[in-house]
Amino acid sequence: MSAMLSIPIERFTLDNGLRVNLSHDPSTPVVGVNLWYGVGSRNEREGKTGFAHLFEHMMFQGSEHVPKNRHFELIEKAGGSLNATTWFDRTNYFETVPSHHLELALWLESDRMGWMLPAMTQEKLDNQRDVVMNEKRQRHDNQPYGDWDEWIQGMVYPASHPYHHTVIGSMEDIEAATLDDVAEFFQTYYVPNNAVLTVCGDFGREEALVLIERHFGGIARGGDIPVLPGDPNLDPVIGGTVRERVEADVPLPRVLMAYRVPPYTHAEFYAADIAGSVLGSGRASRLYRSLVREQRLAKDVTSFVFPLTSGAGMLLVWATGFPDGDPDEIEGALVAEVEGLASVTDQEIQRAVALTETGLIRQIERVGDRADLVSMFDQLFDDPERLNSELERLGAVTPEDVSTFVGRFLGDDNRAVLTYVLETGKSPAPVTT
Amino acid sequence: MSAPSRSTVPPAGPVRSFDFPSVSRGALDNGLRIRSVQVPRLPVVTAMMVLDAGEGLLEGAQAGLAVQTGDCLEGGTAKRTGIELAEALESIGAGLSVGTGWDSTTVSLSCMADRLDEAMGLLSEVLLQPSFPEDEVERIRGQRLAAIRQRDMDPAGVATLASRRLTYAEGVPYGRPLSGTVESVGPFTPDSAWGFLEARYRPGGSGFVVVGDVDAGQVRALAETHFGDWIGAVAPRPEIAAEPRTRERGIVVVPRTDAVQSEIRIGHIGQPRSTPHYFPLRVLNTVLGGAFTSRLNLNLREENGFTYGVRSRFLLRTGAGPWSVSAAVGTDVTADAVREALSEITTLVAEGPTEEEVSAARDYLAGVFPLQLETTGQIASQIAELLIYDLPDNYYSDYRDRIRSVTLDEAHEAARSCIRPDEMTVLVSGDADEIKGPLEELDWAAVTVEAES
Repeated sequence: MSAMLSIPIERFTLDNGLRVNLSHDPSTPVVGVNLWYGVGSRNEREGKTGFAHLFEHMMFQGSEHVPKNRHFELIEKAGGSLNATTWFDRTNYFETVPSHHLELALWLESDRMGWMLPAMTQEKLDNQRDVVMNEKRQRHDNQPYGDWDEWIQGMVYPASHPYHHTVIGSMEDIEAATLDDVAEFFQTYYVPNNAVLTVCGDFGREEALVLIERHFGGIARGGDIPVLPGDPNLDPVIGGTVRERVEADVPLPRVLMAYRVPPYTHAEFYAADIAGSVLGSGRASRLYRSLVREQRLAKDVTSFVFPLTSGAGMLLVWATGFPDGDPDEIEGALVAEVEGLASVTDQEIQRAVALTETGLIRQIERVGDRADLVSMFDQLFDDPERLNSELERLGAVTPEDVSTFVGRFLGDDNRAVLTYVLETGKSPAPVTT
Repeated sequence: MSAPSRSTVPPAGPVRSFDFPSVSRGALDNGLRIRSVQVPRLPVVTAMMVLDAGEGLLEGAQAGLAVQTGDCLEGGTAKRTGIELAEALESIGAGLSVGTGWDSTTVSLSCMADRLDEAMGLLSEVLLQPSFPEDEVERIRGQRLAAIRQRDMDPAGVATLASRRLTYAEGVPYGRPLSGTVESVGPFTPDSAWGFLEARYRPGGSGFVVVGDVDAGQVRALAETHFGDWIGAVAPRPEIAAEPRTRERGIVVVPRTDAVQSEIRIGHIGQPRSTPHYFPLRVLNTVLGGAFTSRLNLNLREENGFTYGVRSRFLLRTGAGPWSVSAAVGTDVTADAVREALSEITTLVAEGPTEEEVSAARDYLAGVFPLQLETTGQIASQIAELLIYDLPDNYYSDYRDRIRSVTLDEAHEAARSCIRPDEMTVLVSGDADEIKGPLEELDWAAVTVEAES
């Protein structure tokens, strides 16, 4: 059984609805400031895909009291690091700074939460649309297999579902974004009552509370957050096996398979998580052992469970074959391993928990990552303390739980299969040097 | 505390002191150097064996031998098959991580502190008693050959490799791919792994770094138990004469049909790790392209929207590693992006950075130093660098002071010494039909289009 975590977490709520968590750790004179806004690609309406992410870029373009580029300049000059990411269910912003610059980070974050719009201009929007379109080209369009998420999400979630489209969105929608969209999105979602602020690291408790109230306390509470567009409710399973075959300029064949699984907020999620780990975490995992080590069908294998909250999450597995590999054979081997999860051993579960434990402890070594986890548990579960008991929930999963989960969710009535094959006429040639 | 106006940047509070964690030093009788740092914050430990076993030691025909040998460690030991080894490691939550570079191979694992003894036993088995079974070596070689195929179709990877090839003279290791080629990896057998292991996996010349919730006495005792019987020493690492392929300007296009972006690499041979310009160069490179607010990124991204991001890097190795500016840009703005990058580089070398830029860069580099030492893995890696490059034990104690003492003149001198605009090669991988003409119109250098591979 794994050791208990005991990360100290104090939680407060400001009058405007901003949830605040303080997690003290004096071991290094640095402090992580992290904000989770409860908005992500799932909140985007038709014709506005990719907007939550584009908006995240606009958040770095200045605010009423902070000129363009000043946010980056001030944090970098302070010796800090910063970034932000957009995901299905949320957008997070974070700085890690030397402790004596805590107020700087709070001031910058509060200025864009409260006073972003006066700084917005068409020129800034045009510039960031170009940047984001280049991001899409660099990370998706110009990458072998770079459109996999578009295919998989399209197969696993129906068109009416908020997870049907990707976080990066479509070029057309990114191009069509306007300043009015920016203003509306800001006023709707970037409000204190839709955010969690976590401060983690070496700081004075009383000082932090005063500073947080000073900088965030004056920001007005926003309206209620609109319900998600489309229909987040869906059947627990896809209702069949759906498949797509893509001929593309890829170096090696690859088969991806995805299944709907219970949302992160559902107790059965933990069985899904364990199943995913037994399948693909580490070199002793079933996929590595079978497809890579023994059958030699795959060059690499991966499995991942998406911890999503609206309707259904997703278990994704993939195997990359050798140049002359047969995708059907790879698919058959993947299916056999996934269905074989109906019977897992205590040892396999124990290994999965042990690997997760080491991974989690290594993650929380960094105050920035620790703050992000605290924000996540607050935003998704209304319970930041859940971080300290997460390993226990995983450790409580039994082979029977996994078997039940596999029976319900990992059959051929809930399977999306995406196969990449080499373009015809581009059969494997000797690799040039 | 009274509330100041929102319009002013809040003042910094009192600085909290930061010292590089105290490092305990020692050695076993067999020559294995031991470095340990007690970090009791969380119950986790990182253990890292640092071997003088990099790819820079090898002739071109053997390229990839160090990488392959490291990869084949997972194939099993005298006591366990590969599967049994993986199960033993993962049942204590430890994953084996092998990193092979030009100057070293590191074999490391992280685990909960109460499993350290078992973990060290397994690490010792892996390093001292590997079995390199024929069947597993064959499998791992096949995976590598497939990975090489993937590498050679990755747009960013293709551009970087082409840039390295164009930077270094024939025969210089740094001009070739780190993990080798189909020709050099093809003949790899268990005997190749045994040969490399015999020569380079030796306690004399290696270092063992342990960081985490464990004290120096325990580390010493564990090292004695698990590595005390290891014998031998490596031959000294040879110098690497990093000759350039050319000292002339040039623009080279590597065609990629239907590419939606161009991958740009601009640079020439940079500096070795032992460069006397180390600290000024860190500052100078931060001004040029080492941070978000660097000149290149503010111009190409924030002003012009040509790219998602652009960086400048000096890769410091035993011999002079490459200096390279890299960006992926839209096809239609490729020549514009090259022009702006060349202009930023040339101007910085000619006119030097401003006092304000140097001050901001110093503050950034000195300030982020503790952020790079938050985890046991990060601390272990930093100590490994001291071992690999024979840097003094007190190196990191002085690090921030040395960054803070860099002057404007030193930073400008670093620019003039380490960047030679008239010797730069511009490599562009992209849609040749679209980009060749505009690149020629820059009138900066002759444009060569390579044959499509």
